[in-house]
Amino acid sequence: MVQSRLIGYLRARGARADLAEDIAQETVLRLIAISRTKEIGSVFALGFRIADNLLVDQHRAESRYADAGQGGDDHEGQWQNAAPSLERVLDSRRAIEVFQRCLNRMPALRREVLVRRRLRNESCRAIGEDLALSSKAVEKHITRGLVDLRRAMEKAGIDPAGWNE
Amino acid sequence: MMASERAEIDSAAALWLERMRGPVQDSAVAASFDAWIAEDPRHVESYALMASLWQSEGLAQAACPTRAGNDNAAGLDAADARHGGVWGRRRWFGLAAGLAALAVAVPLGQGLFAPTHTYEASWGATREITLADGSHIQLSGGSRLSVRLTPWSREAELEKGEAFFDVAHEALRGFAVEAEGARVEVLGTAFDIDVLAGGRREVRVYRGLVQVAGESGAWRLPAGTGLILDGAHVRSLEGIGGDRPGWLDGWFDAQDTRLDRLIERLNRTSRIPVELDDPQLGELRVTGRFEMHRPQEIVETLAAIHGLSWSRDEGRYRIGRQ
Repeated sequence: MVQSRLIGYLRARGARADLAEDIAQETVLRLIAISRTKEIGSVFALGFRIADNLLVDQHRAESRYADAGQGGDDHEGQWQNAAPSLERVLDSRRAIEVFQRCLNRMPALRREVLVRRRLRNESCRAIGEDLALSSKAVEKHITRGLVDLRRAMEKAGIDPAGWNE
Repeated sequence: MMASERAEIDSAAALWLERMRGPVQDSAVAASFDAWIAEDPRHVESYALMASLWQSEGLAQAACPTRAGNDNAAGLDAADARHGGVWGRRRWFGLAAGLAALAVAVPLGQGLFAPTHTYEASWGATREITLADGSHIQLSGGSRLSVRLTPWSREAELEKGEAFFDVAHEALRGFAVEAEGARVEVLGTAFDIDVLAGGRREVRVYRGLVQVAGESGAWRLPAGTGLILDGAHVRSLEGIGGDRPGWLDGWFDAQDTRLDRLIERLNRTSRIPVELDDPQLGELRVTGRFEMHRPQEIVETLAAIHGLSWSRDEGRYRIGRQ
């Protein structure tokens, strides 16, 4: 179960099928090793974090390999894997535009909350205190804002799930 | 998949993404996150997509007007030119956002200047407080409460001790009390909050309806019910009778209550403090109805129930082993 959910996670994060399976397996091994020495709060929260790191490592290694072949230097954003990774789809100029339009259409308060959380990494409590909102209300704005952004991406035909391979 | 079902999953995914990012995660939250992920393969997919979206550089650029503006100014493409350019549009939206900010700036300003009042009740004395909105609060001995009323909100924080709230009903302005990370929200009602040593919180509702949000979830409590939040453990209380808590009338109903908790409550109202010789005695359990204004009687009773000895010296009662 843990392994199949990890594969599902990695696939939705844009990893190829074979890569997702390898990383999920490696993640499970690491989770087991960690659980021997300390108690794990959330298996999935920790598992996703490990999987994210392994995925980034893998992309880096692949880009290095590809760059070495072309004599290029090693920097991110030049990954040469065949399928565009999810992040790159969402970083495209079109995606930025869609994000921007969606943010502009939101109520000003919701946009303010989202920007503070995403860009300045402010805590819900700090945002709430500044804007006279309860932490719950801040949480609600973030949740609704994220769903709005997700819908906007879908409407624009930028469905990240369709870009896996 | 039904559209409404998808919307529900996406909302839940967004909420989990926000919740799991915070550093404070108790074991109950962690367990319910794991259960949610395990429940349905669509959950993990939605969660992963939300995570990608939130972490994407694209969103960061879109949210950061100056940076995105520079990027676009450097390479205005044909599509942008056709629509009058991202620049022109953004400037207009910027102005609109500015006006919106101005519109909310006035009431926010008033709120910022609303003073916070702090009330303290000394040991052995209950303090009665009437707030500007007409709400009545009874603050038990040794308790501390701060209150802030703004034109649109009524917020209080019970830092320690116990308080009974009889809240004046207002349709628009809710009344919320924070107690050690739990939040109790009401519209117009009467309820009691008790913050005990070790972070245990007890809420009892005597009239109306309240919502309690703790680390591991949120509950709606109608009159006659209550809730105990103790770390990750949550227990509901039933059959709370009367229109106000017994301690206001000087009574305490112990139901399989730890001795140290009973003494903690007793010391709030007793002029002569009670102490245990050995903290381990605090784990003994007591059941019964005690009249808190008669500490010596209680001390005698407790000693009799558990075969302990008691003495009075240097202005305090001491309970110890025989």
